[in-house]
Amino acid sequence: MSVPLARRQLLFRKGRSLAGVAGIAAALLLVLALNAIFAGINDRLTAYIDRSGADVIVAQRGVDTMHMTQSALPEQAAAAIASLPGVAEAKPILYVPAMIEGGEERGIAYLIGDDSGGAPLPIASGRRPRAGEIVLERTLAERLAVGTGSSVRAFGQDFRVSGEVDGLASILNSVALVRRQDLARLLGSVGVVSYIFVRAQPEIGAGELAARIQASVPGVTASTRAAFASSERRVVGDMTTDIVRAMILVGFVIGVAVAGLVAYSVTLSQIRDYAVLRALGLRVRSALALAVAQVGATVAAGFLLALALVWLLAGLLPRLTPTLVLAIRAADVALALVVAGAVALAAAAFPVVRVARVDPASVFRR
Amino acid sequence: MNARRVPIARRQLLAEPAKLVVTVAAVAAAVALVLLLSGLRRGMGEQVTLYVDHQAPVLVGQRGARNFLSQTSVLPEEVAGDLERVPGVAAATPISQQYAMLRLHERRVLTLLIGYDPGRAGGPWQLASGRVPGASGELVLDRVLASEHGLSVGSTLEYRGTPLRIVGISSGTSGFMTPLAFASRRTVNALSRQPGTANFFLVRPDPGVEPAVLAALISRSVPGVSALTRREIAANDRQQFVDPFSGPLLAMVAIAFAVAILVIGLAVYSSTAERSREYATLKALGLARRALFRLVGVQAAALALSGTALGILLALGAARGVSAFAPKYLIAISASSVAAIAASALAMAVVAALVPSYFLARLDPASAFRR
Repeated sequence: MSVPLARRQLLFRKGRSLAGVAGIAAALLLVLALNAIFAGINDRLTAYIDRSGADVIVAQRGVDTMHMTQSALPEQAAAAIASLPGVAEAKPILYVPAMIEGGEERGIAYLIGDDSGGAPLPIASGRRPRAGEIVLERTLAERLAVGTGSSVRAFGQDFRVSGEVDGLASILNSVALVRRQDLARLLGSVGVVSYIFVRAQPEIGAGELAARIQASVPGVTASTRAAFASSERRVVGDMTTDIVRAMILVGFVIGVAVAGLVAYSVTLSQIRDYAVLRALGLRVRSALALAVAQVGATVAAGFLLALALVWLLAGLLPRLTPTLVLAIRAADVALALVVAGAVALAAAAFPVVRVARVDPASVFRR
Repeated sequence: MNARRVPIARRQLLAEPAKLVVTVAAVAAAVALVLLLSGLRRGMGEQVTLYVDHQAPVLVGQRGARNFLSQTSVLPEEVAGDLERVPGVAAATPISQQYAMLRLHERRVLTLLIGYDPGRAGGPWQLASGRVPGASGELVLDRVLASEHGLSVGSTLEYRGTPLRIVGISSGTSGFMTPLAFASRRTVNALSRQPGTANFFLVRPDPGVEPAVLAALISRSVPGVSALTRREIAANDRQQFVDPFSGPLLAMVAIAFAVAILVIGLAVYSSTAERSREYATLKALGLARRALFRLVGVQAAALALSGTALGILLALGAARGVSAFAPKYLIAISASSVAAIAASALAMAVVAALVPSYFLARLDPASAFRR
C-alpha cells in the first residue's frame, strides 16, 4: 500500500499551505487579470465594427483602424463603390471623437454620423435618431444621467436623446449615433466622409469584393470586416505588449518567491521526516520527487484558484463598473499556465537543494 | 542581576538566511510593482500633456471643446482675426492636430501629428537634428520613436496614402501614448481633406493679462468657440487619459499589496510554527504574552521594512532603467507615493503578524515538556 506522503506533508499545516496557494494565485492573477482587461477592451473596441453588418470597410488609403484614427474620403467614393458589381450597399459614415455634455456631466464618445441611424445595430431602447436627435451608448447615458427625451450637447449643439444602444463601451471609449448631415454641418465637412460600410451581394465573398474595390477606386483601403477588426485589436495589442510582458515578469518573480518560500518552509519543517524516510531506504531521487510534487501541487492549486478568481472578477466587475469588461481567452489561460509551470520549476529548486543534502544518519542524533 | 538581553527576534530571522532573502525579495517585488504601476500612471498623465504644456497660456477650440486630445474641434481659420480683435490678445496662431496611426515595422504606432505654420508658434521646441518642415509632405518626428524604428532625417514613411519625408528629429517630444510628429498645417489639412480650417488656436495674451480672464472674455466675445487656459485643458486631458486606467491599476496594486502581506505572514508564521517548542519553553519560563507578541511583531516589521526599503530601491532603479532603455515610457515615482508605501509597510507588518500572534496566544506552555 502506497502512502500519499506529499499530500500528507502539505496538509499537515493547512494554514501555511493555503497561504502559499493564495500567494501563488495572487501572482498568477496579476498576469491573468491584466490580459483579461486588455482582451475585454479589445472586444468592446471592435463591438461596433462586429455589429455594423458591413462585409467590407473602406477607408482612406493606408487606414485600417477606427480607434484613435482619422480617415477622410470624398463622398463620391461611396457612389463609385455602390456602382461596382457585387456591391449590395455602400453606406458612408462620419466618425469623430466628441465630448457629449448632459447638464454638468461630460463624457467622451466616438460620435458616428450615419444616414441609417446606426442600422443594423440593435437599439436597446427608444428608436434610431432623426435630424437633431442622438442615440447614446447605455453606460454613457447613465454617466450623463440622461434618458430618452432628454437633451445633450455636442460641439455646442443640442441633441434630443431618442434611444440607447448597448454593449459598445469600454473603459477607453463610448459611442453615440446621429444623422450624418447633422454631424457634417457641425464639422463643416462638406463632401467628406470617414468610412464606407459595404454590404456584399450573396454571390461574392468579402475578400474578393474588398480586392475589387481596392483595385477599382483610387485612394482607398478596403478591408474585410474580419481583417479590419483584427487590425483594430492589434492597436491595443501593439500598445500594451511591453506592459503585459513586464507584468508577466513580475507575476513570475512573485510567484517563484511565494512558491519557493512555501516549499522551503514545508521542507525545512519536515526535514526530520525526510531523514527518517532516507534512513528507511528512500532513494535521493524519490525524496526529491516528493519535494517537487509538493511544489507542483501547490502551484497547480494556485493556478486553479487564480483561474477561479479571474472568472469571479469577470462576473463581478462589469456589475460595479459596466465599462470594465474582462474577457478570458484560452491563449491567456495557457500563458498563465506556462508562467505557473515556470514558477513551479524555479521554486522546486529551493526544497530540492535542501532535501538533496539530508543526511539519513541525522535522524539517530539528538 | 544585570541580565543581558537576548535578541531572539533577530536570531530567529537570521537563522535561515535563504528564507530571509526570499521573503525580503518577494516583499520588495510586490512593493516595487505598486510603485512602478502608480509611477506609470503618473508618467502617462505627464506625457499626454507634453504638447499643451509647451504652448501659449490660452487655447481656443470649437464650442464645447474641453480637451486637446480625444475630442474633435474644427474651426474656420478666419477665426484667428476674430480672436486677435479681442482686447488682451497679443497673437492667435492656428494649429491643426490629429492622431496619426502610423504603421512601422508592421506595428501600429500612435502619434499626435501637429500641423503648424512654419515660423509661427506650435512647432517643435527642440530639434535634435535636421530642420523644421517647410514644404508639403515634410515631417519632424520624435527622436525616441525615430530611433525605435530606425528612422532618420531623409527617411520616408507613408501615412494615409501620402509619403511623408522626415526632415527633422525633435527631442523632448516622446510619449508612450502620444509621441509627437510635426508637419506644416497645409500638409495636415490636406490629409484630413479640411482645407481652410484649424483645430485649435494658440492664444498669447498681452503682458499683464491673466490667462483665465482672457479665456472667459474670448468665450463670451467670439461666437462658436470655447477658450480654456493651458492648465485647464491639460488637467482635462490628464483626467481623460489616466482615469480609465485607475480601476484596473487599483486592482493590481491591491493584489500586489495582498501578496506582500501574505509573504510576510507566511514567513513569520512558518518560523513561529517551526519554533513552537522554543516559544512554549519561553512561555513556561514566564515570558509574558505581550513580549511574545512583540517578538512576532518585530520579525514582521523587520521583514516589511527591509522588503519595502529594497522595493523602493528596486522601483527607483527600474524607473531609471526604463528611462534609459525604453524612454517612451515615463515612470514618475513621486515622493508622496514613496512616503505612502513606506507608511503602508507598518500596516503590512501588523496584518501579517495577526495569524502568528493568534498561534502563539493559543500555544500551551506545557507542550514544551511533551515529545
